[in-house]
Amino acid sequence: MSKFKFFLGLWAGKLSIPLLKITKHNGTDYPGVLATKFCPDFLKYVQKPKKIVVITGTNGKTTVNNMLIDILEANGMKVFANRAGSNIASGISTVFIKGSSIFGKLKKCDIAVLEVDERSAFKIYPYIKPDVMAITSLSRDSILRNAHPQYIADILTKAMPEETTLVLNADDLISNRIAIDNKRVYYGIDKLPTDDKPYDGLLNDMQICPKCNGKLKYEFNRYNHIGKASCSDCDFSSPEAKIAVTGIDYDSKSFTVREDGKIYTYPLIADSFFNVYNLITLITVLRQLGFEHETIVESMNKTHIPDSRHAIDKVNDITLVTQMAKGKNATAASRIYDYITGIEGPKEILNMTYCAEDADHWSENICWIYDTDFELLNNKDVRKIILAGPRNADFKLRLLMAGIPEEKIVTEDDQMKAVSLLSFKKNDTICLLYAVDSVDMATKVRGEILRQASQAKTDTDASGEKLKSDNAMEISNAVMNTHEEKEAK
Amino acid sequence: MKIEVLFPEICNLYGDLGNIRYIEQSLKDVEIINTSIKAKPAFVDERVDLIYMGTTTEKGLILAIDALKPYKEKIVELIDKGQFFLITGNALDIFGKYIESDWAEKIEGLGILDTTAKYKMLKRHNSFFVGNYVNHKNDKKAPCKVVGFKSIFGHTYPGESGKACEGMFVKEKGIGRNTEETSEGFRINNFMATYLIGPILPLNPILTEELLAEMGHECEAAFKDTAMKAYKERLDEMLSDRLHAVY
Repeated sequence: MSKFKFFLGLWAGKLSIPLLKITKHNGTDYPGVLATKFCPDFLKYVQKPKKIVVITGTNGKTTVNNMLIDILEANGMKVFANRAGSNIASGISTVFIKGSSIFGKLKKCDIAVLEVDERSAFKIYPYIKPDVMAITSLSRDSILRNAHPQYIADILTKAMPEETTLVLNADDLISNRIAIDNKRVYYGIDKLPTDDKPYDGLLNDMQICPKCNGKLKYEFNRYNHIGKASCSDCDFSSPEAKIAVTGIDYDSKSFTVREDGKIYTYPLIADSFFNVYNLITLITVLRQLGFEHETIVESMNKTHIPDSRHAIDKVNDITLVTQMAKGKNATAASRIYDYITGIEGPKEILNMTYCAEDADHWSENICWIYDTDFELLNNKDVRKIILAGPRNADFKLRLLMAGIPEEKIVTEDDQMKAVSLLSFKKNDTICLLYAVDSVDMATKVRGEILRQASQAKTDTDASGEKLKSDNAMEISNAVMNTHEEKEAK
Repeated sequence: MKIEVLFPEICNLYGDLGNIRYIEQSLKDVEIINTSIKAKPAFVDERVDLIYMGTTTEKGLILAIDALKPYKEKIVELIDKGQFFLITGNALDIFGKYIESDWAEKIEGLGILDTTAKYKMLKRHNSFFVGNYVNHKNDKKAPCKVVGFKSIFGHTYPGESGKACEGMFVKEKGIGRNTEETSEGFRINNFMATYLIGPILPLNPILTEELLAEMGHECEAAFKDTAMKAYKERLDEMLSDRLHAVY
């Protein structure tokens, strides 16, 4: 009977795919939703690949997942994967529906690489048992859905198949204690010269020893609870990383990795520190899959960090950084603020990180902004912060509480009109920050910023001061198209 | 003003400590005592104006209960004498009789409040809340409207004496102590506990002023114009018929 239900689900899901294409809804996980309506334990009956790798964690899982797929494919492997980020149970079901024949036979593959939402563990791991699971890290995420990182760690521990080998971040004392009886390999980033300044932000979810509740002392504390710690009252300490980054050279775009006393040099294919964690996660997973360092280096030289959430435009000596800052996620937002304040030179920020979906249907729970390190923006190079969208007053209050002078803060409900409040000064960086569900609006706003920045050239004055002009000038279609294509990918 | 913040290293979820930052920015002279989980609370030996504790993890609840158990009698004595407490989010459950969870054994609380929390760990409750706060110092003042959010794994279910206990707020829209009751949270003398999470004070500048006035500190809430704008927008939004309180 259950097998019958499975086939009903499979066929219903398969039938829905062309219908969704016709109605231009082909990006959804509706086939999986439909299949599980017919067969709630649909994933139990799908044919499984012979080797399964899962990437999960609060941040970075899409990046690691997609790079891993690229490298495996580049090395001639047939990979069954959910590259599009359909990472909840219905999304994973959709991937299996698309990858299976009408008789339920899985298409030929050497390995499955699946990005899995960490909150969905109970719905997936009873059926899909990974051989290797990499956890990037666990940090605060949506209050409404994910509560707190220890809750997610508990879910993963309860749902973890005992045969799974875990690839864990030694520098994250929340995720590296998941499923303590499972076989595990730790990766990390050793103490670097840049780790001298301790994190003084708002969030650290590992301040006490998990063994005796004594105060944890950090040898270094990069941000939040990421770092290396030991207990002041007992023998507890962070685990030693087997594979670790030992140095990063941004000039030569390389970083060094130690394993078993040997040092290997890798290409640094990213400019942000948090992506180095993604790269060392990737390397450690590949090592678990039997890849030699030399092969990984060669493969990484041919790949790039896929980042549809980040774009840089340069128009008339004005740089526009467009960056998605996951709304409702204090940790991710804080990392983004850290990144943009690290960009050299004067900058103006156009902030649209409210939750657009809630603005339509609910009253957004903005508690997360009180966990976010807006204090980072209290920086002389941040000349103006324009708050655009429905939660302006909330963000303004939070910025004032962060010590940011009121004269630097401007609010405008209309996001398109907010563009006109930018100064468009030569050599400035404009940072456009938007939330996950504001992509459409962000695209329009970015277009308007580029249009006005492009106009500004017609009005350049001798002093190089204000460049903005009222004269319309066609924006470079080439620039826009490049980035729209990148986002579409 | 002297504020003791209990266990800020673990009772700090959902922006709850923003309440303390807002008091610090509203009043000129504030002394904060951060008491860690292994330390003896300051209130045992010295007078503090306000004892604050915010939302924590489920393990944090157990740690906080264990840490406060030796001082239960002192806490009861302080409540009787009119000590101000502000307890937010699930920290309320520390003061109840029990916490029942579908993930854990029944946990015995301090038993100061006649109420039992019931958690379903895979069924999170999210809602917004509008209620009224009655000023206890000046009963001629009209109740002030309060806005806030709940994001919790369940509700609390009082026994007979718990039901009779005054709430910290009276519900106008949203969920009270549970889906049946209009009282939200508990108030015994100046002991105030609410299930509302996060930055309740910055979200409610009028409430901030009233609470501080009750404690003997008349002041204007920090950044009041901006805070009032956000508060009024939220109040109008939450009271509109178009929106349901439960997410």
